[in-house]
Amino acid sequence: MEVSRRDFLKTTALTGTAFVLGLYLPEKSRVTAAESTAKKLAPNAFVRIGEDNRITFLIGQAEMGQNTFTTLSMCIAEDLDADWEKTDIISAPVHPAYNHAWAPMQLTGGSSSIYTMQAEMRKAGASIRQMLMSAAARRWNTQISRIKTKDSMVLNPATGARLTYGDLIEDIANLEVPQNPKLKSPEAFKLIGKPVKRHPKEAWAKVRGEAEFGIDVRLENQKYAAMIHPPVFGATVKNFDGSKALQRQGVHRVKQTPFGIAVIADHWWQAKQALDDVRVVWNAGEFKQVSSESLRQQYRAMMEKPGASARKEGDTAKAFQQAAQILEADYEFPFLAHAPMEPLNCTVHDQGGKAGIWTGGQMQTVYRNACAEALGLEREAVTYHNTYLGGGFGRRAVPNMDFILDAVFAAKGEPWPVMTLWAREDDIRMGNYRPLRINKVRVALDQQGNITALESKLVGQSIMADTMFASFIQNDVDPFMVEGLATHHYDFQNNDIQVYRVKLPIVPLWWRSVGHTHTAPVVEGIIDEAAHAAGRDPVDYRLNLLTEKRMVDVLEDVARISGWKTRKKEQNVGYGVAVVESFKSFVAQVAKVRVSGNQFEVEKVWCSVDCGFAFNPLNVENQMMGGIHFGLGPVKFSALTVKDGMVEQSNFHDYKVVRMSDAPDVEVSILNSGEEPGGIGEPGTPPIIAAVANAIFDATGKRYRSQPIEMG
Amino acid sequence: MTIKLNVDGVPHSVDADPSTPLLWVLRDHLNLTGVKFGCGMALCGSCTVLMNGAAIRSCAMPLSAVGEREITTIQNDQDPIIGKLQKAWVDEDVSQCGYCQPGQIMSAAGLLKSNAKPSDEEIIAAMRGNICRCGAYNRIKSAIKKVVAEA
Repeated sequence: MEVSRRDFLKTTALTGTAFVLGLYLPEKSRVTAAESTAKKLAPNAFVRIGEDNRITFLIGQAEMGQNTFTTLSMCIAEDLDADWEKTDIISAPVHPAYNHAWAPMQLTGGSSSIYTMQAEMRKAGASIRQMLMSAAARRWNTQISRIKTKDSMVLNPATGARLTYGDLIEDIANLEVPQNPKLKSPEAFKLIGKPVKRHPKEAWAKVRGEAEFGIDVRLENQKYAAMIHPPVFGATVKNFDGSKALQRQGVHRVKQTPFGIAVIADHWWQAKQALDDVRVVWNAGEFKQVSSESLRQQYRAMMEKPGASARKEGDTAKAFQQAAQILEADYEFPFLAHAPMEPLNCTVHDQGGKAGIWTGGQMQTVYRNACAEALGLEREAVTYHNTYLGGGFGRRAVPNMDFILDAVFAAKGEPWPVMTLWAREDDIRMGNYRPLRINKVRVALDQQGNITALESKLVGQSIMADTMFASFIQNDVDPFMVEGLATHHYDFQNNDIQVYRVKLPIVPLWWRSVGHTHTAPVVEGIIDEAAHAAGRDPVDYRLNLLTEKRMVDVLEDVARISGWKTRKKEQNVGYGVAVVESFKSFVAQVAKVRVSGNQFEVEKVWCSVDCGFAFNPLNVENQMMGGIHFGLGPVKFSALTVKDGMVEQSNFHDYKVVRMSDAPDVEVSILNSGEEPGGIGEPGTPPIIAAVANAIFDATGKRYRSQPIEMG
Repeated sequence: MTIKLNVDGVPHSVDADPSTPLLWVLRDHLNLTGVKFGCGMALCGSCTVLMNGAAIRSCAMPLSAVGEREITTIQNDQDPIIGKLQKAWVDEDVSQCGYCQPGQIMSAAGLLKSNAKPSDEEIIAAMRGNICRCGAYNRIKSAIKKVVAEA
């Protein structure tokens, strides 16, 4: 699938860029002239320099709030020595030059954008800077060592001469591409590692309502589709009659898509109203009998037999026989919807022989290819436009492509571009949920109260199964199901982790931090129970058993900033702690909870994070805060329940999410350990779920193991 | 049916069913896409605009009920309070995905127009109708307090 960067350069040449050359080509770069009034240089896939000295960064990752546009651009700008205030960031087209290091596709997920791409971005900036310096040295007939750069300018301190980068774009067109450009030393950083705010253009566009999300796409003669989706999971359309709906004003079409029935009208509200006039007969399927309760029974019955082994070491049976004490615990996690604020949407224009597709997506290549296949086109005949995402949290990286395919098939063969927009109810009820899982665990404690064995039986759907990522499943174990559980950092000596995979017509999907929202509450819950059973302090108890220094460091740090050792015992107030590695980062949190009757409020959260190196500490702080609030939803009240094969919730009145009134103060401490960098979009979420449950125990003496916590 | 509407100081005539929610008139007829759709049931606040200076959820306000009252949206560049809030939002690095922020800012504007010096409790009471899934609540709070402190 590796396509040379030369191919990319051809592509940009065709789009009207004046001068195009390939920095990454091993041979001498070439200039390609094209018709254009304003001259522009596109030295590589990530940078364009205009003769007006404005520099544009092209980012192939999705911007969904995690700040990848800004942070990756900071990496380029740093080593390019660009004037940050005179830069722009745009969403790159679909092209292999922007593929993720992990897969032959553009993919934004796994909190991986910065740590997988920062080195390449820095090199991209440094290469161009070195070429600009060479070009200036040639013009001024001097040595490159005498040249300096600053704020998108090349300077000759000896003579006072200066040129903008834009002045030099034609000069560098024929230069050799430096293969190993010199990178800035960290002491010289102006952007990397500094608390840089979201790029000013993006920040202002977002507060002025000018940022373009998928839902804001407006094309000439555009129509809008609203959807009817199956009432019961797994149901299919038997037949439908749209004749009455077609009589309504503005309605143009009623048609079937792979996931339901689309009504297309001049305006979305007309289409939405017309749904009431469409008669659909469904093949309900067998799932009609299913409820959350029946699923729980089914899952528990599976635990009777041995599951697939995710981790087996030592002699667990013997450890339990010799145990001074055995603790058993049972954890249940309901289905959860991501519920990003921007309802799911996608716009497609089938132009016969070519097509355009507009959406905010986390898997651009996959969506582009699916659109091409559905419309019978070559992939290159489909132009994909990635807008800002009004939240992702995993929902916009969707292997079954539900909202994408609805839109492609709604627009297929139509003379106009069609935006297919789901109502909030479609989003809450259409599946692609954080899956329901049950985990039954036992730990054996020795005379000193230390855990000597962990046994865990985890039942639920695998997210990877039946997707393009199914090859991750080895020996019947989906590693994303047991991440954080099979990979815990405690020295228990004996471990027996078994998993059971279930298949359901409710499609499962990664939800901010993937497997960790199921596993962190278990590992960090049971160890808290063990600490209590041993009569030991929960922080000290963990420190004694941890085998990973980075876990120890964040735990000690959070104990320090929260005043853990000197915390006052106060009636109805509790403190809970948790420490989790996820997405290669280490996060410890302490939650302070106040209980009143059957209610609890999380008043304050202290968070210590080691992501190796914080490329943008301000954003690390923002992501920790956001990750904590996201995780508080399922702790407090977010849950989807199934009855008669349907999800009972439909909108924010019954699928409750965290509001400002629920949001605690958060204090973040960042440890720049200098270790391998990790992600920051997701790791803030897992610990809070356990920390709050542990804090409620501290306040009340009662353990709440399942989500959401229902006291009383 | 043609209905007259006054938005951001500009008179408009809109050909739409009178029962159409104001949100869809603003977005799809007047192309004011800064006003966001989030839930359609006045539960999330993404669609918040001002009607005669008070914050309302435009997704639950039929066009026919607006009458001659002045509608103010996030795209109004003349309103000093909205302008101050927008600047504070940028200064405090509030936005993440940013989708809910126009609605958050308009709720805050509605609050400050009726109460220039709200307490923390009053801020939370006015803002709890606005959901931010990115969880930027701490920053939203500090941005509002910044504007309050400067008032």
